[in-house]
Amino acid sequence: MPKKPLTPLLALMLGVALVLTLFPIFWILMTSIKPPTDWNTSPATWVPSDPTLINFRTLFDPEAIGAFGVGGVSESATAAVFGSLLTSITATLIAVCIGFFAAIGLSRYAKINRFTPLMILSGRMFPPAAIAVPFVIIFATVGLIDTYAGLIAIYVAITLPFATWMLKSFVDEVPREVEEAAMVDGRSRMAAHLTVTGPLIKGGLFATTLFIFILNWSEFMFALVLSYTNIETIPVRLSKYVTATAGTLYGVQAALAVLAMAPLIVAGFLIQKHLARGMTFGAVKR
Amino acid sequence: MADKTLHTAALRIEPAPQERATSDSTGGSTGAKIARRRCKRFAMGLAAPGQLISIFVLVVSLLVALVMSFTLWSPTRGSLFDATFEGLFNYEELLIYDTRFLEAVGRTVAFSVICLSLELVIGLGLALIFLREFKGKSALFSTLLTPMMVMPVVVGYTFWMLFQSNGPINQISMFLFGASPAWFQSAGLAWTAVIVTEVWHWTPLFFLIMLSGLNSIPENPVRAAVILGASSRQIFWRVVLPMLKPIIIVALVIRAIEVLKLFDEVFMLTRGGPSTSTETISLYIYKLAFQDFQLAYGAAAAFLVLIGTLVMVHVLLAPVRDQLLGRNN
Repeated sequence: MPKKPLTPLLALMLGVALVLTLFPIFWILMTSIKPPTDWNTSPATWVPSDPTLINFRTLFDPEAIGAFGVGGVSESATAAVFGSLLTSITATLIAVCIGFFAAIGLSRYAKINRFTPLMILSGRMFPPAAIAVPFVIIFATVGLIDTYAGLIAIYVAITLPFATWMLKSFVDEVPREVEEAAMVDGRSRMAAHLTVTGPLIKGGLFATTLFIFILNWSEFMFALVLSYTNIETIPVRLSKYVTATAGTLYGVQAALAVLAMAPLIVAGFLIQKHLARGMTFGAVKR
Repeated sequence: MADKTLHTAALRIEPAPQERATSDSTGGSTGAKIARRRCKRFAMGLAAPGQLISIFVLVVSLLVALVMSFTLWSPTRGSLFDATFEGLFNYEELLIYDTRFLEAVGRTVAFSVICLSLELVIGLGLALIFLREFKGKSALFSTLLTPMMVMPVVVGYTFWMLFQSNGPINQISMFLFGASPAWFQSAGLAWTAVIVTEVWHWTPLFFLIMLSGLNSIPENPVRAAVILGASSRQIFWRVVLPMLKPIIIVALVIRAIEVLKLFDEVFMLTRGGPSTSTETISLYIYKLAFQDFQLAYGAAAAFLVLIGTLVMVHVLLAPVRDQLLGRNN
């Protein structure tokens, strides 16, 4: 398309979009460094006059906020951060490994029919509240409820379609001839797939891993209904901070929110090129 | 770059030589037969772990939910195996008498239509602006994508803070209009808050997909239209938009599936309130199952939703199925 310069009106629209995009993030960042006196002022404080890191410290040491004469944070978020890291990382690695083999199978050997996309997507269509019901029952029977293993199993299961179809779109881009050449040289099928295709889609594997990590790290409902006392993740902790008596501890809540979104924004920027592909099960490539 | 999206499928290679040789004729030599069987077994081995998991998750859990939806079982009534079948009682109840469910369905659908249209129009608009030349384009591109990376719970929480009665949004509205409404006290305002949140969160995805679509449109038809003297408006409506159609549908379908399940943001923002005026389907099912422990009834509701979504997706996807599959045959 012919490249035209920007008109002032369009530049203004971009400016508005930029401000609207950044304002909520700016607000949560500012709130996370507000001292307790600035949390709930009326009118609201936009930029704290004496920024502090006390909110972040309180997350790991609930007593810390006492220095400001505020009580009410009874539980630390340490367990939640640990739980989120453990479940997200483990589930991501498992899903990407299984997904890689499934992607090779789909790309190189499978016949795809017209119901395939529906089958892929149907897993995403069922309201999670409803998948959660049978899972709670099944997990209660086999003793997996309220355990990290159970949560990891669910995360693997729900992110596997994303991993498989995103990786398939990368494998599709590697010509078969490259693998065939390796097979002619005497390598087995498996060796050809692993040692030839694997390195060629390194970037794709990296992008898929981060994308699946984003999905797992953000998941809320399964963690909510499958955790009672033993396990916890960051989103669950955040919802508890908001509903509990701690309802007005804005600074501490915001600190946890910042902690929750920081890794996502970093990961998102790293795989920016592949986000569209991931979100659309590999249908949109760039 | 041009054409890449729509025709990446062309990169797909013909079957491996030995498979091609054997797949044409049904007979073939014994050696070829063995090779073919071995290849098939190998392919099944590759897919097995993934398929086992999918089968377990989808089939087993759907079966449990389906069986349950025909009973009146709840955890307080003993084992699920002892529950008696009540036929379509739950479904009848839901579709005919449960106004709260029907309202939640209508509300969620209306909400999805409003949000998706806003997101599509804004996203496409921004993408069109990004076709122009200006400084700092790539930095701005990255920045505009930020919202979609933030997790839904945090988005819900952030906007819950922004919409507080002494929050910044009311401060601005006080300055501009001299009014500072209580956002979560009235149904209309609570809805507005949820819509603003959803649109902020997911417009970047539309922007991203639309820009990727616009960039992959072949240049020749557009050049031809320019030479033939078409105005830029005509070019957009008659040339660009039709070529963008498959990608628009893909984006809409994928987002529609997610929006219809909307839970996290509403849970953090309003919990369905005031009263049940912002209750989505997912929130209602969640409350049924995990607050009132009417698991069987909740499962029936979920099935109705699943069937509705399946039909909608199947119909919407029809024109773009081949592209989604990445195939060219």
